[in-house]
Parts: sequence; C-alpha cells; structure tokens
Amino acid sequence: MIPGRHFVVLAFQALLRNRMQTALAMIGVLVGVAALVTSLALGRGAQESVEDQLRAAGANLIVVTAGNYAKGKEDRSDPDGNIGHTGALDPRDLAPPYLRTMPPLGARLEQVALNAQPFRIFQDRMAPQGAQILYPMPYGYVTSDGALAEPARSPADALLIPSHFEDDPLAIHDHPTAKDRLGDVTAGLGSAATLTVEDARAVAELAGVQHVVAGVHENARIFVANDKTKQWFTRYHGTEWALPELRSGWSMIHGRFLSKEDGEEKAQVMVLGKVVADRLFGEGVNPVGQMTTMWNQPFKIIGVLSSRSWASSPVAGDDQFDAVYVPVQTIDGLLNLSKLNTISLSAKSVGDVSRLSTQVKLLLRKRHKIGEEVPDDFTVTTMAQQAIGKGIPPQLARVISGNLQDIDRLTIEQMSSSLKKTNMIMLIMLAGVATISLLVGGIGVMNLLLLSVTQRTREVGLRIALGARRSDIATQFVLEALLLCIIGGVLGILTGVLASGGLQRFFSWSAVISPMSAFVSLIVAALLGIVFSVYPARRAALLDPIEALRHE
Amino acid sequence: MSIISLQGLKKTYKLGDNIVQALAGVTLDIAQGEFVAITGPSGSGKSTMMHILGCLDRPTEGKYMLNGKDVSSLPRDELADIRNKQIGFVFQGFNLLPRTTAVENVEVPLLYTRPVMPAAERRERAMKALTAMGLQDRYDHHPNQLSGGQQQRVAIARALVNEPTLILADEPTGNLDTKTSIEVMRILQELREEKGITIVLITHEPDIAAYGTRIIAVRDGKILSDEPNTPRSTLEMAPEQIMVTAN
Repeated sequence: MIPGRHFVVLAFQALLRNRMQTALAMIGVLVGVAALVTSLALGRGAQESVEDQLRAAGANLIVVTAGNYAKGKEDRSDPDGNIGHTGALDPRDLAPPYLRTMPPLGARLEQVALNAQPFRIFQDRMAPQGAQILYPMPYGYVTSDGALAEPARSPADALLIPSHFEDDPLAIHDHPTAKDRLGDVTAGLGSAATLTVEDARAVAELAGVQHVVAGVHENARIFVANDKTKQWFTRYHGTEWALPELRSGWSMIHGRFLSKEDGEEKAQVMVLGKVVADRLFGEGVNPVGQMTTMWNQPFKIIGVLSSRSWASSPVAGDDQFDAVYVPVQTIDGLLNLSKLNTISLSAKSVGDVSRLSTQVKLLLRKRHKIGEEVPDDFTVTTMAQQAIGKGIPPQLARVISGNLQDIDRLTIEQMSSSLKKTNMIMLIMLAGVATISLLVGGIGVMNLLLLSVTQRTREVGLRIALGARRSDIATQFVLEALLLCIIGGVLGILTGVLASGGLQRFFSWSAVISPMSAFVSLIVAALLGIVFSVYPARRAALLDPIEALRHE
Repeated sequence: MSIISLQGLKKTYKLGDNIVQALAGVTLDIAQGEFVAITGPSGSGKSTMMHILGCLDRPTEGKYMLNGKDVSSLPRDELADIRNKQIGFVFQGFNLLPRTTAVENVEVPLLYTRPVMPAAERRERAMKALTAMGLQDRYDHHPNQLSGGQQQRVAIARALVNEPTLILADEPTGNLDTKTSIEVMRILQELREEKGITIVLITHEPDIAAYGTRIIAVRDGKILSDEPNTPRSTLEMAPEQIMVTAN
C-alpha cells in the first residue's frame, strides 16, 4: 500500500486523539534523540579536540631558538658579552651584530617632513653626532623629554627611534637591554642573535623536513593608519607563509595569511591576530584592506587570524592571537636584521622528530663553527620536551630531555592514548544514556500504539471488511509510529543542538554537530518507530474482522 | 447464472469445551439480480452465513462458489480483494468513520483497491455514489451531522462505490425508524431493478424480509424454508402508519 495523503491524515488524527499519551511518547522519543545527537556531537568534538591537541602540541614540530638557556654566565668568553663560543671564528662575529649589517654611517633611511622642515631620519646609532633624538608617537614626533618636536633650527639631522624605549641608545638602564644582549648566547632563549636566514635555508635542505619558517619577533606598537588614537601594544612576528602549516589549529576569519610572494616582494602586509583586530577595529569588524602603521611604516592588512576549533581557542596567556604577522623579509628590509629569533620546522613524519632534531643540531654547530667542547649557541626543542619542561626547574628539565632521546614519541603517543581512553569512557557513558533514553521512548511509542489499536478495533474491523489487507492495516499503525518518531526526532535534534551548544558554551566541552549526525539521528528515530510499532501493528493486522466489528 | 452457490456448507465453533455447530450443511444457489432476504431468530446461524457469504469467515466444511470461483479456501489477502471489489457491505450500525466526512467515508474501499487508484478518481467515484444516494450536498458533513437515514445512505454509497455484483446488508434497518427503513428498502429495490445488483439481506423482521424477491428462513444452522416472494411495494404504508391513520 502506498501511504497516501489519507493515511498520513489518518495517522495525525490517531495521534491527536490521545493528545496526552502522544505528547508523553513524543517526549520520550525527543529525549532519546536529543541524547543521541548530543553524544554524537560530543564524540565528534572530543575526537577533533584530541586531533587538535596533538596538532597544537606539534607532534612533528621542532623549534630552534637563538641562545642557550642551559649555559651559565661562567661560559662567557668575552667580557663584553658579545660572543659565546671560542671555536674558530669569523672575524666579523667579534663586532657587535648591528655593526655587521649596518649601512654606512650617515646613510639616509627615510626623509620625513616635520612642520614643513625636512628631517633626516636615521635608525638609532647610525645618526651623526649632535642629531636630535625623536620618538614616533601617535600624534607626531617627540623629543626625549616628551615635548613635541620643534621645527629644526637648521635642516638638522634627526635620529628616529623606531621601536622600543628600551632601545634608546642614549638612555641609561640598570639592566642589559635587548641591544646589549645581541650576540650574547647566555642572554636567554630567543633574545640572543645567533641564528641567520642562511641557517634556516640550510636546515630546509635536510632530509625529512616538511616546512621551515624563519622567525623574528619583538614588541611593537601598532596604530590604525588614519586614526592614530587607535593603537595597541603587541608583539610582531616576522615569519613566513608556512607558519599556519606548523600551527594546524589556526584559521583565517578574514582574508588570507602571508604568501610566498609577500615575502619575496618584501611586501608591507600584515596579518592581525584576532585580539589585535578586535582592539584596533572593534569586535567582528573585517579590517582587511585597511592600513596600519608600525614604526611609522604603513602596512596593509591582508587577514585576521584565529583558531579553528574550540579546543585551541585563545586562552589567557596565549598570545598567538595577540600578535601581528608580517613577512620576515619585510622586517629584514626595514630593520636590516639578519638575525633570527627562531627557526621552526616540521618533520614529515612524527617518528622522525628525534633523528631530525639531532641532524639540525649537528648542522647548526657546523655552520656556527662551534668547537667540540663548546656548548650550542642555540637550543633545539621539540614540543614534547617543552611540555615536560613546563613547571620543572630548567636544570632538571635539561637532564630529563637530554637523557630521553625518544621522549617526544613516547609522550605524544601516551598523551594521545590517554586522551582517547578518556574520551572513549565518556562516549560509552553517553551512548548508554542515549540507548536507555531511546528504549524508554520506544516503549512509550509502543504503549501509545497499543492504546490506539484497542480504541480503533472497530475501525480496523471495518477496514478489513471493506477490503484492507493485513499489510495495509499494519502499515497504517507503523506510519502512525513513524510520524510520531519523526516529529519527536526533529524536536530531539533541535534539543540536542541546543544542549550541545549549551555544554560547549557553559562547560567548554567540545561539541561538533555535523549534518550527517543529525541525519543519522533522524534515521535512528524512524527505525525506533518502526521497531516498536511492529508488535502493535501486528496485533491490529491479526484482528478477526467479525469480532472487531462487534467491539464496542 | 447463479452468483452464489453453497454446497453442504458447515461451520463449527469451539466455545470453551463445547463445540457449537453454527451451520449444519447449507446448500443454496442465488442467481444474479435476486433480492434474497434471510430471516431467522438470533442464534439461527444467519449471521454466520452472512460472514461466510461476505468472505469474512471461511466454512469448516463445504464449498462456496462466488461468481463461479471457489472462495472457501482462498488466502486472506485474496479474500480481502474479493470483499473490496465484488461485495458491498451495509451494516446495522452504519459503521461510518467518525471525524471523517461523508465523501471520505465513501472513499475508504477505494483506498484498498489494487492497483492503487489516484486520489482524483477516488473522489470522483465517491461523489458519483453519493449523488446516486441524493447526498451530493452533504459530502463534507461528518457522520454526527447527518440523520440516521442519511448515515445509512452514506453507508450504501460506500457499499456501491466499487461497483460490486453483490450487496450484503446485515440488519440495515435495525437502527432506523419505520419510515427511514422503508426508504432504505426502496433504495435496495431500485439497485436491484435498475442495476441488476444481487442483494442478500439479513433480518429478523418479517415485514422487512417482505421487500425481497425470495425469503429464506434459517433455523439451527439449516434452511427451514426457501420461498419466492412478491416484493412488497415501498409505496405501501407501514403498519404503524396505518394504525395512526385509523385512529
């Protein structure tokens, strides 16, 4: 029998006859389906969360950082603190780093007009004697005592400080400044300047390397180009196009990330972390195409960066989205930096990380001409080592990571399996709840149908007398259950979506609802209707029409 | 040609430990176009006979030929198709579906007709049957909005909608007053006269049986008498009305 309109109407009428019982049975189905949808969502969320955590943990990631925190002060071989190794040296290495890359003294980097008077702008120590020192501020250039710069008495040379007050060469500090620490391997991770772009290119040649990203980073103040009152003090990262490949949890909410061409062209383009974009342009505003300035240089915004899933969304202390990203070559061109803070690379396979990190270490030692007894002037870290190092005294961390060559593999696998185990237990519990709810819902459906069969015995007898086959009668009751379960199922899916959203919002559980899981839930609801209507439908179909017609 | 042919029809029931013989060997032929009234007191076996004639029940013994086909041992689904296409039922209690309009009630047999009938054709045929019963204006009324006579006419329209060769009427006037009963009898007589439909009427009222062309009296599961009858005219006044007039 084809269930025509008549039979659907009939099923509706039957359901409406016992409103209370229908509502109760429907709630049963609803709860069951909602539990199913929620558990599917949480299951999928948990799975993605494990994957994200593994990716975020950087199972295949190796980071080379300039400097070596394992080194003590006693290893300083130069009282000026400029070098940290005593191997065969390039004579240029003995000079302070800025001298190595410095353009000829007095070279003009940029000329700006201030109060219609030309200033010759120099970068920090490259200015001639007697030059006026100016600092870029949102409202103009100021002198070292904070006053707005006067028009120059004569077309004087001015000295422009590009970034941080700490970098003021004339200021007296009671602590070593970043510039002081250039070339000092003991200065601390990342702040020493021992890695070069050439090192990064050499590392890229090693077998088993997937991506290499050269990186510099420093604090900087970012302004909105046409509104200098909007500014944010954050960290810039000079980096390369492949960085998102190393941070798989990332996604672009607007625009795109840096491209290979951006780097080759030294383009003044900038990708904002979501926090920066929100601070400068307001939440949810798409700033792509607008201009910012950093060190008074214009940068075009090409994208806004955030995380792909809940699991790797920014948390307090996580500054990867409170940062801006520009091509490292652009930074190099503007600041004449040839030293890198980091070289990040990914191994093609996770199991290769230990071997590769040893290879990188050997290669860099060779390139830096470090003698046998001399410690590294860089630090090679795998993410597992970083995880272990957290919260442990550095000396202890060094001992652990130094003595366990395979620690990365061990930990990643352990982490993955323990996460998966936890998720599995949670899923089994949820699946159990869903199954029990569905069972209860199914019994409710069956109860309603048995009631319906009893109430409609006479009608069933009449339909049989008028020529309905048994299958026609059975189909009619199955249709009734199907209708109930599909309505209950749709409501259940909606409830499940709300519940998943609530769990995600208020308990930070990772829940992902796919159209597929909604579809599967609806199929399950339909199957529930069919399975639990078999007995009542069969009972109706087997009614003796003579008895049924006499039924009152 | 006989439309119904019963040969040595027996039906026994088991009621607890007792075996009840409802039909004890009935042999009977009904020709097309006859209006047969089967009478008998309750427990005489006339209802059992009706159920077997209507293919709602199967005989324990004997043979039932309907339109030349032995239907006494057909499977249920085939019996359902025979009920659907060849037999029209008219019940004492009308048996209309509540909360369902007159025309939808008439359509019910067509829902189970194979091959599946399109909705438009179902509606057309149902309206035609209702029109024949003079109820075309009431097609969208629910049974509780219709009088008893109108309800029974809807039921007759339902019995006719699939153009059966046989109409089985089980106490069709049992719930009706005399005037309406006569009206129903006139409809049945007209169906026989104008369309040649065979009618089998079950009743325990002799004056209703008198409208048939043949009266069969049943008692204790056997045929007591089987006489041709000159059908009573529906123009004739009912006995009660005569009495009223006399007073």
